[in-house]
Amino acid sequence: MMTSLYRITVIGRNTLTEAVRQKVLSVLLIFALVLVGSSVLVSEIAGGLDASSLFEQQIKFVKDFGCGAIGLFGFAIALLSTAQLIPQELHNRTIYTILAKPVRRSEFLLGKFFGIVLLLALCVALMSLAFAAALYWQEQLGLAAVDAADTQIPNWQQNPTLVSQYHNDVAQIYQQVRDPQLIEAILLLFMKLVMTTGIALLISTFASSSIFTIVTTFMIYLIGHMESTAREFWLARGAEMSIWQSGLVGFISLLIPDMNSFTIVDEILAGNHVPWSHALNLLGYANAYLIVLLAVSIIIFDYREL
Amino acid sequence: MTEPYFPIGKLVGIAEIGRMESSAPLFAVETTGLTKRYPLTWKRKVLVALDHLNLQIRSGEVFGLLGPNGSGKSTTLKLLLGLIVPSEGEARVFGLPPDSLDARRRVGFLPENPYFYGFLTGDETLRFYGKLCGVAGAALDRRVEELIELVGLQNGRERPLRSYSKGMLQRIGLAQALIHDPDLLFLDEPTAGVDPLGSAQIRDLILRLKKMGKTVIFSSHLLEQVQEVADRVAIFSLGKKVLEGSLESLLTERQSTQIHIAAELSTEQEAKLRQALGQAGLDSAAIQFQRPQLSLEQLYLRTVQAQSEAAAKGAPKP
Repeated sequence: MMTSLYRITVIGRNTLTEAVRQKVLSVLLIFALVLVGSSVLVSEIAGGLDASSLFEQQIKFVKDFGCGAIGLFGFAIALLSTAQLIPQELHNRTIYTILAKPVRRSEFLLGKFFGIVLLLALCVALMSLAFAAALYWQEQLGLAAVDAADTQIPNWQQNPTLVSQYHNDVAQIYQQVRDPQLIEAILLLFMKLVMTTGIALLISTFASSSIFTIVTTFMIYLIGHMESTAREFWLARGAEMSIWQSGLVGFISLLIPDMNSFTIVDEILAGNHVPWSHALNLLGYANAYLIVLLAVSIIIFDYREL
Repeated sequence: MTEPYFPIGKLVGIAEIGRMESSAPLFAVETTGLTKRYPLTWKRKVLVALDHLNLQIRSGEVFGLLGPNGSGKSTTLKLLLGLIVPSEGEARVFGLPPDSLDARRRVGFLPENPYFYGFLTGDETLRFYGKLCGVAGAALDRRVEELIELVGLQNGRERPLRSYSKGMLQRIGLAQALIHDPDLLFLDEPTAGVDPLGSAQIRDLILRLKKMGKTVIFSSHLLEQVQEVADRVAIFSLGKKVLEGSLESLLTERQSTQIHIAAELSTEQEAKLRQALGQAGLDSAAIQFQRPQLSLEQLYLRTVQAQSEAAAKGAPKP
């Protein structure tokens, strides 16, 4: 058991090293530039609004943009890195040298999977840092604006109303910027990326090319987003549907993960409270799905002719 | 005879690495009716890549697989490594199923035209494969040192593999195949694309492994080299083994005899010999005198090796 875990770790670390040395992380530089550029831009565009709603708009934009970009860049990294894992191993014949050693196929596959998960964790952590920096910068701009608006009147500190307003404004800025729910949102985004990796890995175990994996995973990803709508329709009008239609919807619901459930990230960004218990439930669902995905991947890969 | 390239003494430490006891069965490799078919669905045909192969290779033998491209050599190696499943028949490696971990602990493999991980250095490559085989710590450090020296990659150990030449890749490939001190080595075209000096070095290494009691099974197109190292060969054609046997039995021409004289004969000496052979009852038409010729490879190796030895001693180049 321990030796098996050790081999998985060795392969996982090698996969991460490969991604880092192939300069996958340099993609994140573009992310940082886009994020900084957009927050500078939004500060200039929103110039016509009054101070508090201006700040609210800016923060909302940076949060939306930051989380959106983490999701998008993460998706690209997860999909592209996973899709070329096995084809590249086959092309370079490295897979033969590894599987000729005392390494099980399941260990090889799990090592590759955890390597990509490590890569995603690293990328999401770095993007979150850039995101936090952009938020911090907006916070400093906000505080400077409050300073400029509330402290212009001479001896304002002796006026309890002004002091209270000042503290109120500052507290509001902190509340909007330092929102602990953002951690929840990022965690959910990360889990969604891991799910994408799981799907891509499953497809790559039988795909003959990276392109097939990329296109199919992308389609499953889209269907996963539309699935809940179809299911609701099915539950509401199940009796009116033909057996084929309801069978198809039921089959898809079972087979394809419900990616739409991750849209609660949007609720968090809209400022609505999403309890941790809900997020944890979702993480539990995703993990259970992942275990199934990995189990099926291992079974298919075990039978694959190399 | 030139000095062998790979220093034999350097392999002594290998046995220290936790190897399995070789209470091995007689045969390192044994196949019965081993067959691999690939259904070509779109053509409604079945491609028989390997057809009922029966093979027995004893421990300690150097066995050459010969045959044109697509004759079933690589399929045989893949089946013996458990990378593909036979459609029929059975293969055993040291009496074990080829895909079992116990079998793989005793097997090393160098694939044809390997690339390996271009982003790893030579040193890191060997460490990676060593860890996969459970070699770690000081034993791994020692092993890496030995193998780097053994395959002569001291200058390349810190360089990423993407900057390696074909010959260097082949050598690091051999080193990774040997990292866990296997009893059996599968080498798929180990000299493909390597210059004559490099392939002579690989040939030397195979001979060295043989002396250590390892079993080596290799495929090659360079027939002269196979002849120099293999104990036995099998020739494949269209998925079938068409000929098998020891080189001696296969290559000896029973209808003729060579006498080797390590000196140049004068015309007078030659005439006397002819006369003597005639007196022994041999037909004079059946007797030929020839000066043996070097093969082009031998000439090349002599020239290049003399050059590099002179350079090593600091002698001026001609």
